[in-house]
Amino acid sequence: MAEERARRVFRVSDVGRLMVTRRAGREVREALEEALLGLPKGGVLYVDTRGVEMMDYSFADEALGILVSRVASGEHGDRHLVLVEEDRDLLENVEASLRQRGLAMIRVPKLGGEPSVVGGIKDHLLETLRAIHSAGSITTAELAKRLGLNHTACNNRATNLFKLGLVSRRPGASGRQYVYERIA
Amino acid sequence: METLLKLDIRRRGAMSGVLTLGSLDPAFKGCAGLAGDPVVLDLRSVEFVEPAGLCGLAALLEYVIPRSEEVVLLLAGYNVPAYLERMDFFRLFGDRVRTNIDVAPLEERRRHNPGTLQELVNFHDEGEIPAIIERISEILENQGYLLKERVAICSTLSEICANAAEHGASSFGAYAAVQAYHHIVSGARRRGEEVLVAIADGGVGVRKTLSRNPAHARYTATDNDALRHALKMGVSATGEIGRGGGLTLVAQKAAEAGGSLSIRSGSGRITVYRNRKNSRNVPAFPGTFVRVSLPRHLPAKNA
Repeated sequence: MAEERARRVFRVSDVGRLMVTRRAGREVREALEEALLGLPKGGVLYVDTRGVEMMDYSFADEALGILVSRVASGEHGDRHLVLVEEDRDLLENVEASLRQRGLAMIRVPKLGGEPSVVGGIKDHLLETLRAIHSAGSITTAELAKRLGLNHTACNNRATNLFKLGLVSRRPGASGRQYVYERIA
Repeated sequence: METLLKLDIRRRGAMSGVLTLGSLDPAFKGCAGLAGDPVVLDLRSVEFVEPAGLCGLAALLEYVIPRSEEVVLLLAGYNVPAYLERMDFFRLFGDRVRTNIDVAPLEERRRHNPGTLQELVNFHDEGEIPAIIERISEILENQGYLLKERVAICSTLSEICANAAEHGASSFGAYAAVQAYHHIVSGARRRGEEVLVAIADGGVGVRKTLSRNPAHARYTATDNDALRHALKMGVSATGEIGRGGGLTLVAQKAAEAGGSLSIRSGSGRITVYRNRKNSRNVPAFPGTFVRVSLPRHLPAKNA
């Protein structure tokens, strides 16, 4: 069973409907970072871009690309981001920015909706991510069993997902292996 | 002795009579050696002005005005002076150039043209761009453009404006203009509508901007080399990850839609179409000029 996480929603459309330029993206990123740091460790910030009419590449890269990169690098501690957006054209520039950076983020079409991934992620990592999503919370040993992998290969995949900020992890009861958890 | 700046206005084909960016090339070349003498620019053979021609004319005048004691524009007929008036040209240049006709009555008869999506606008800073985008988006919405079309036009304008504000710093900043047509202006005659987005700045140009980063040295031997390189995904002056995507994506989307993106900088000019990139040498001139054609696809007859 996954641990209960602190969750907060940031509605980007409250800032504006037409999101253009790096400068505007920087301002939104700073607001998002403030909201993220206001969450306890393990918390998830839902960046809700529904209601935004357009987002140009410069804005998407500055607001989301850089933020996802900082979260993935651990700059904001054990806190996570989830994009709330339907499958529409607006995602193209977010996707392009994340791919350019070799990053990805979890997307849900609505709060509580089925998660998918936006950005660049290799097929084998996607398979592993789906297994973690389906389990909700899973040890490396159990994950390896489900995927039919040896422990080292499975551990590498799960660690990569953790480093991309796409899953959370905590030490398991034995203290010898991690438990990986979905974040949305 | 006065200098007469010539234009290359085509007399045949789809672009006959149109003041395009390319038609200004002889004038760009002719103003290289100006030393204070009066300058005459003869626009009497122009029948139609497109946004890239208008922005190019604005950048040309910004170069010529400080280098000559007087600039005279020769205009003929009603349509071109009326269009220049509608596009705010005389508000920006009326007190800096002399014309052979009285343009004051044009102001009195001025009527809004629904095709004018953005009059000639002068800006200097990235912070001015969101307000420009808000305004054009509202005009497009009122005119029934679909969200997808509005996004394409607005994101094209915002990205090329942002590039000009960031890399094109100059005494006059940059000029932008957007015009919608109920026909196809660019290239061969075909059915449809077209929106033209144009910008001109007076900055150092693409090659010098990229040359600041030694990593681009082998791609910046000529202006056309630099333009081709700048259109690749992720190529930017700073080399930071995530940068250098805006212009590339704008070019890709315009080309995929059956339009084009053309960029002129220094002595190079490159045009990106769906299946090819054409480059040619042009007379050297300061600044960077971008023209984007976004066709609107009309439903087929009886569909």
